[in-house]
Amino acid sequence: MPVPVVEFSDERLANGLRLIVVEDHLAPVVAVNIWYDVGSKHEVPGKTGFAHLFEHVMFQGSAHVGKAEHMALVQAAGGTINGTTWLDRTNYFETMPSHQLELALWLEADRMGTLLDALNQENLDNQRDVVKNEKRWSYDNRPYGSWNEKLLAHMYPADHPYHHPTIGSMDDLDAASLDDVRAFFRTYYVPNNAVLSVVGDCDPRQVRAWVERYFGPIAPNPAIPPLPDLSLPPTIGEERRELVTDRVPLPRVYVGFRAPVFGDRRLDALDLASQMLSGGKGSRLHRRLVREERIAQDVAVFALPFVSGSSQFLGWATARPGVDISRVEAAMIEELERLGAEAPSEDELVRAKALTEADELGALARVEERADRLSMFATLLDDPGMVNSLLQRYLSVTADQIRDAAAEVFRADNRVVLTYVPGDPPAASSIGAGEGAA
Amino acid sequence: MSGTEARGGPAAGQRPIPGHPRPYEFPTTHRTQLANGLRLIVTAMPGRGLVTASLVARCGAAEEPDELAGATVLAARGMTEGTVVRDAIALVEAAERLGASLHSEAGWDATSAGVDVPASRLEPALELLSEIVRQPAYPDAEVDRLRDERLTDLLQARADPRRRADQEFVDTIYDPTSPYHRPAGGTQETVIGITAGDLRTIQARDFVPERTALVVAGEVEADAVVGAARRLFDDWAGPGGIVESSLSDASRVTARRVRVIDRPGAAQSEVRIGHPGLPRRHPDFHAVSVMSAILGGLFNSRLNMNLREDKGYTYGAGAGFDLRRHRGPFSARAAVDTDVTVPSIQEILAELDRIRATPVTDAELRAARDYLVGVFPLRFETPGPVVGALAGLFVHELPDDELARYRDAIESVTVDDVQRVAREHIHPERVAIVVVGDHEKFAAQLEAARLGSIEIVRDEPLTGG
Repeated sequence: MPVPVVEFSDERLANGLRLIVVEDHLAPVVAVNIWYDVGSKHEVPGKTGFAHLFEHVMFQGSAHVGKAEHMALVQAAGGTINGTTWLDRTNYFETMPSHQLELALWLEADRMGTLLDALNQENLDNQRDVVKNEKRWSYDNRPYGSWNEKLLAHMYPADHPYHHPTIGSMDDLDAASLDDVRAFFRTYYVPNNAVLSVVGDCDPRQVRAWVERYFGPIAPNPAIPPLPDLSLPPTIGEERRELVTDRVPLPRVYVGFRAPVFGDRRLDALDLASQMLSGGKGSRLHRRLVREERIAQDVAVFALPFVSGSSQFLGWATARPGVDISRVEAAMIEELERLGAEAPSEDELVRAKALTEADELGALARVEERADRLSMFATLLDDPGMVNSLLQRYLSVTADQIRDAAAEVFRADNRVVLTYVPGDPPAASSIGAGEGAA
Repeated sequence: MSGTEARGGPAAGQRPIPGHPRPYEFPTTHRTQLANGLRLIVTAMPGRGLVTASLVARCGAAEEPDELAGATVLAARGMTEGTVVRDAIALVEAAERLGASLHSEAGWDATSAGVDVPASRLEPALELLSEIVRQPAYPDAEVDRLRDERLTDLLQARADPRRRADQEFVDTIYDPTSPYHRPAGGTQETVIGITAGDLRTIQARDFVPERTALVVAGEVEADAVVGAARRLFDDWAGPGGIVESSLSDASRVTARRVRVIDRPGAAQSEVRIGHPGLPRRHPDFHAVSVMSAILGGLFNSRLNMNLREDKGYTYGAGAGFDLRRHRGPFSARAAVDTDVTVPSIQEILAELDRIRATPVTDAELRAARDYLVGVFPLRFETPGPVVGALAGLFVHELPDDELARYRDAIESVTVDDVQRVAREHIHPERVAIVVVGDHEKFAAQLEAARLGSIEIVRDEPLTGG
């Protein structure tokens, strides 16, 4: 069963907005997806958490749309909607019944063009409170909830923007002013910093006409400041360890490694490696830790792709009651290193590729996923055609390439080991090498 | 308005009006039945090369005996842990070579084994499905491990504020004679004694052809699927005798009461408010769907607009009915800043009163109806949700045209219907209010609010081993 090729058009408006369109009439639905090339890596010290707070502000109204009305209009049109912020980017997306496509384009254009007309202190304060509750819910009131922040802080140096998580510091959010928000908007929320993908039941000529009409008049920012040089050495350079005593039910170990950036072929090899290591019951780590030695309740590893400096390869395993967590860590590390020492078998490779191909077949069936990938590849790699070539890249990875990528990444001097053990947390926690992350 | 700047964008008065909706029908579904009673339900979806197939038995955790609580969920999980033909690893490897993911699970009303697989390899994948359902082995060693994993999961559930709040909530609202007062996966007391023999008994009872359906959707031809199903299942004979379900779904909440699980130092309060709701098969289903969208389903629902967008108390507030064969729970829920725990409860209660006391506006009604009607084709873009919905009809013994008439039924809900079902199915005077949070920080306010009887439970985490 071949995965169907995604046929798309790729063009730019005079103001720099990149428009990608896919016509597909299988279902009466259409996806609208905008990626802005701005994420938490564009934040400077003292203003962390800003990109994400801003994402919330984008739903607070614009010149012709009231507070929270964007969501209301999309849902009342029978659509679904959300926005997300990540280290490298921020995205906004709607999936609509196809006869409501124009509404979604108009809504996105209205906030790109006129957000500041509606911005006020009351809405900013309200969303600051919402974001604080999001942090409490997603991190603070969740067992092991601090792992992401700690892992990032160990993996990236203090002067690199991946050092801090997207949610940012609540003190920084408290200090954010309306002027900060306005400046952020004027700098980054401009057509020449965005990719708009429209995928599904649509007429591409009509789409172009609407996009030209609504987005065409929006002025670009000719002076988007370039990011500083964010390149990093490929490895951390030492093993970094932290022991965290916290109110957790069971000991758990997290491991993290720097890995090649998004788009690097070695990362394709590591994606297949993740499948072999922890993708299901037959995988190496699950088999050994959960099934055979029965020392772990769960285990997972995967790559998180980033474009500036290095990606992350990370994972965790939770100890079964009564099992020493150091035994879990040792078994996990041993399996990672074993993959770097000897190439996987032909059968393992065939199975991993068959599952990857089936996953692609399922993922690309959804207009929302196709639109998101087109925007992603265009924004981060300037190559929307990756939506089609990625699978071929996976299928061409060899066993030796997996071994070599594993050997490069799964090294002791490229490793962060974060161990949680149950207990009352100390009043103020400290973190290795004097880099406060609390 | 201040702050306007010459930057461009849509002009005033340009807000688009919708075009003509493209006609949409739920995909045509082919239904037939084998001589042994097995239903075959097949939906051809052109262009959907990853096919979903599921064997669904109309028997779930609600039907298991109290002393074996959790056995149904374990029996479902254990189906992929080896068959009389091959062990678990050989099974998963065979599936992976097909690009197929096998999964099996049980809920309150149903047990299922399913597979997602590229269309060209559907038939060998159905063979694996048949094997795990008809010949599961339940090796002692694997069952011991599954049982230990569930016991460990219970430890984790107790530590996680969300899962803890959900569990304490159902334990508070249902009478102990109802299975709904416990988790579908069972409790420490019951799970610890479950044996491989129990799982074999439960699985053989659940999966009998006359109570099972094979549901398939994707790029398939119905005739070919039916042919494959005949070859694989024609000789499947199950014991007769339908288990008639007569479980209790009785409420234990007769007057408003508060239960606090005290966790000193908690970063937030997890709040659940509600009582037993209504069963899935109920004439008010469509009106209740519209009502709960307005109350707590949409982003712009009353609860979310009040607690999040107006007051900033929470990242999100919602409410809804968990529709089961019997009366599943109705709950309003939010995770709120500790300092505003009591005001949050009061706002939620006020919204429960308001939706009963005054009619919703025409705009609210239209938004909810249009959402439910409009989002319907989006929900069924891919085979997985189509199989889920068709399996749901089978499990709840709903008519074949239930999905086809869904949108008309929603369209016909009126303002009066919404108020009537709110009054009938929401009872603010006899809700349980469950909070997992730092009690000391809101104790005085809680006393002063006089919400009802207050019970404080000091959190005692289970310890491993």
